[in-house]
Amino acid sequence: MFKAIVSAETLTSALDSISVLVDECKIHLEEDGLEIRAVDPANVGMVDLSLDASAFESYEADGGLIGVDLSRLEDIASMAESGQLVQLELDEETRKLQIQIEGLEYTLALIDPDSIRQEPDIPDLDLPAEVVLEGKDVNRSVKAADMVSDHIALGVDEGEEYFYVDAEGDTDDVHLELTEADLIDLQVGPAHSLFSLDYLKDMNKAIPSDTEVTLHLGEEFPVKIYFGFAEGQGQVTYMLAPRIQSD
Amino acid sequence: MRLDDYIEELEPDEEAQRRRLAKEKSYEITDHLEEFERNFERALSGDSLVGSTAPSIFVGRSNYPDIPVGVLSPVGDENAAEEYVTDGNWYQEGYDIPDVLQRRTGLLNSNKRANVDSPSIASRLTPNVHDAWDGFVGVQREVAIADRPVDLEIGLDDTPDLGLDAGTDVATPRGPRANARNAELRENPYVPKPIKKTLEDDDWQAQGAMTYLYRRGFDVYDINSILSAGALGETDQRRLVPTRWSITAVDDTVGQFLRGRIRNAPSIDEVQVWANEYMGNRYWVILAPGNWEFELVEMKAPGSIWNPDPEGDTWMASASEGYDGRSSYVEETAGAYYAARLAALEHLESIGRQAKCLVLREVSDDYWAPVGVWQVRESVRNAFEDTYGEAETFHDAVREVATQLPISHARLRRKSELAAGLQSNLSAFSARE
Repeated sequence: MFKAIVSAETLTSALDSISVLVDECKIHLEEDGLEIRAVDPANVGMVDLSLDASAFESYEADGGLIGVDLSRLEDIASMAESGQLVQLELDEETRKLQIQIEGLEYTLALIDPDSIRQEPDIPDLDLPAEVVLEGKDVNRSVKAADMVSDHIALGVDEGEEYFYVDAEGDTDDVHLELTEADLIDLQVGPAHSLFSLDYLKDMNKAIPSDTEVTLHLGEEFPVKIYFGFAEGQGQVTYMLAPRIQSD
Repeated sequence: MRLDDYIEELEPDEEAQRRRLAKEKSYEITDHLEEFERNFERALSGDSLVGSTAPSIFVGRSNYPDIPVGVLSPVGDENAAEEYVTDGNWYQEGYDIPDVLQRRTGLLNSNKRANVDSPSIASRLTPNVHDAWDGFVGVQREVAIADRPVDLEIGLDDTPDLGLDAGTDVATPRGPRANARNAELRENPYVPKPIKKTLEDDDWQAQGAMTYLYRRGFDVYDINSILSAGALGETDQRRLVPTRWSITAVDDTVGQFLRGRIRNAPSIDEVQVWANEYMGNRYWVILAPGNWEFELVEMKAPGSIWNPDPEGDTWMASASEGYDGRSSYVEETAGAYYAARLAALEHLESIGRQAKCLVLREVSDDYWAPVGVWQVRESVRNAFEDTYGEAETFHDAVREVATQLPISHARLRRKSELAAGLQSNLSAFSARE
């Protein structure tokens, strides 16, 4: 059983943060909210999303599992105007999702969850540095790096105590330093890793500019990017494997 | 073999020969063109070329979609027509640049303008002889799908332009061209069965049909010619494709097919460096364990083609893709990227492995005339023929190979996505628990 009403913005934010990595996903319809975990086919980027029942206007579920084609669902959600509500209801008989937006009814065929790539186990990483910054600073860093290169280094200078972003291109460089004063919080630790901008650009698209973003970093280790949406009732954690520079 | 020993054994002993070639290059071509002119006079009967034979076709791209469509025929050397077809055999025969230019300039391109969506495409194998326009395109398509050179009679509109602008610095000395009025088959060409199948199935998407032909043993050169003539794909999608575009389309399509085949294959388990040198181009192919990732980095010496200033800096270009391929068009390295990628994927598919693959192409000033992208394809294909050098890690291999390159390791790292860092995957970190 699943029946829920949610604002178009919240639904779209949730879907967008998944669809940057995968085309299809499994959605767990838990009693206390939705949960989605997915990893891209290369096993480089991972997303772990939860959207609490309190983020919905109304929400009823009892632990079902459905598989969806994300671009279809996003297309439907995009039919809603700002401020409109989307009603979702699972038809257990036909295994289809009934979607209603202000009188517009759409019946979405679901995908057999068993045919969707297995959900990842979230690796338990010991990441020594933690940086908390505003979404718009992430955005700015990624945008600047993309002008000169296809990859970006994120790190923490332990001595001087600042978080930095480096991008080295063919001829040009980008360097950005954010000290504790520019950041919301900084826990210094040994951290320097290189990441593909292709992935980071996509993940960045899902990060609201006015949200708080927490980065967990290590040395040649994956980055964990955490942020909230839907007034804190939705949580997204991305994990991205680094490009290895040393061996 | 250890990488440093491997590199030592590669020391070129052909230095002297290369210098000689560079010196003699332009004279050979000029002599050749004069000979061609004499042959041509002999073969011309009235305004028709009789007893001609055409091994291949050429579809130009100027003024698209009304493009020049040509049949290529060696004039005065009909018995050796097969040798004029660009394919892997040129590498096997050890053709050098003058050999290639002689074949290229020895082919008369009798061409006629046609619209890419020309109605003769729809009427397929029945060239309408009452309509000279359709008829010419029809004959041209027969040449493209036949498995050997086809005897023809070509009616010319004017005297050929012998293309004596050869030997300029940048342009490929092109062959002579003539405007054709019509063309007629002098024999019934033999069309191999799989090609008939793709030709007759008008509901088969071009990509699938190309892959089918490749799997049936047709090389990309054959498939290219068929695609170019608009002789495969869904009927309403069939059109003439300029040769230059179709070469890349075929390399890309077949490459995607091969990439799919190794997608779930186990990785190679050591770092290997393969090398090859051909026509003033030196190739290094570094394979490393991990998921598929590919990059071509080109370094063009000052004074070489496309970088003519002898006092200038080495010119660099690169393009790369990850496990899932590219989402955007290759802006740098163009057709060479897809040709090199195809060759690397063929090797990996043949051993049933995947790998990270960095191809470094160094173009020396001995490469004085562009011979076409086949040279890249065949050089990389054949790089895997002999032995390889082993290195401890990918970055060790890059460092060591960099000592042989005209650029510094630092500059390579700035230009090359793979040299800067290899993409890891998340499972590598879960395993460290």
